[in-house]
Amino acid sequence: MAKHDHGHDHTAPPSDEALRVKALESLLAEKGLIDTQAVDEIIEQYETKIGPRNGAKVIARAWVDPDFKRRLLENASEAMKELGVSGLESEDMVVLENTPQIHNLVVCTLCSCYPWAVLGLPPNWYKSPPYRARAVRDPRSVLAEFGTELGDDVEVRVWDSNAEIRYLVLPERPEGTEDMDEAALAELVTRDSMIGVARAQTPGRGAER
Amino acid sequence: MSDLVRKEMIEPILSTGASSRADADVAARFKAGDAVIARNLNPHGHTRLPRYVRGRRGTVERDHGVFVFPDTLVAGAGTKPQHVYSVRFSARELWGPDSPEKDALYIDMFDDYLDPA
Amino acid sequence: MNSIADLGGMDGLGPINPEKGEPVFHAEWERRTMGLTLLAIMQGHFNVDQIRHAIERMDPVEYLGSEYYSHWLHGTEELLIQNGVVTRAELEAKRAVLAGES
Repeated sequence: MAKHDHGHDHTAPPSDEALRVKALESLLAEKGLIDTQAVDEIIEQYETKIGPRNGAKVIARAWVDPDFKRRLLENASEAMKELGVSGLESEDMVVLENTPQIHNLVVCTLCSCYPWAVLGLPPNWYKSPPYRARAVRDPRSVLAEFGTELGDDVEVRVWDSNAEIRYLVLPERPEGTEDMDEAALAELVTRDSMIGVARAQTPGRGAER
Repeated sequence: MSDLVRKEMIEPILSTGASSRADADVAARFKAGDAVIARNLNPHGHTRLPRYVRGRRGTVERDHGVFVFPDTLVAGAGTKPQHVYSVRFSARELWGPDSPEKDALYIDMFDDYLDPA
Repeated sequence: MNSIADLGGMDGLGPINPEKGEPVFHAEWERRTMGLTLLAIMQGHFNVDQIRHAIERMDPVEYLGSEYYSHWLHGTEELLIQNGVVTRAELEAKRAVLAGES
């Protein structure tokens, strides 16, 4: 333990993470305090089952069904439950509609808050210092890094998820999609478009993420 | 301390979640449209009021309802349920005249973080 | 607290460099850390606000220089030690045993 006190805690060298978590998990299991199969199941859920396809489903429905979209904008948590989308870190949702005049972008400057049940676990860049520091200060330079350009006439709204409300961007429906069905539309909705760093895909391009 | 959580309990727990909303009848000090100033609080303990908004003037956009208050919860000083507001700050208010005139920042402010402007 | 985690508006942190086709986890230790932390919360050992604060209290250089899930591991270890669920000595002893075996 450090003998000085300068207001923060010290730990073992970070490169030892693998050893540290193995030691922690085995110790807890030996003491009968955890069921390691429960740990396995949590991993399985977030690695394979819960992800941005949940959000894409919601967005596609909003694009084709104006009444659903209205309900989504009024009470996002309840509307999403209609599609079976709900859960941890998405209990209190607000959906932000992008328009030609308004572009929304979501960040958590203080840590990494993110709507897990709708988008899965966040990518590293979302949780890292550069994005967290700059998204609130200079969102247009952030968008440019993702290849997203906006005109000067567009209002950029950045949402810092510092409390327990979680935000989801409803990206604009791309041009040339009038004849597409809901499932095909959902394919155009990328995770990045629901965070707000990118627009939804236009039809004909390969899906990225 | 609770019993062990088992594998089959995980999916139901993940899909139910655990909202921080509080079922408490607490008066709201502000409403949509009110002009507010973020308090210049600098607690040594946990807070969700970041430095970049402290002392800045904004407008209440909506009242999200009543939630437990993390600042007191972490200090073991109770849940202190209170209203949380979405407050809009213009980019220029936060970062100066070089920011785009139209741009804005929205952040969730607990009642305890705000004074009327 | 006015911690290293309060990053909004800070300059000089560099480009965002998003990884294309990023996997959910980059290493097995990240998986186990995420699962263990969530399970500890589900079982009531600590709550989300407490682990956020534990992370805020990290050494600033370590905070900025380590991987994201390293923050979770720090927080979970510190809170479980603080709550008397495990001791630092027990953890260090277990690490020594495991290191000796590998």
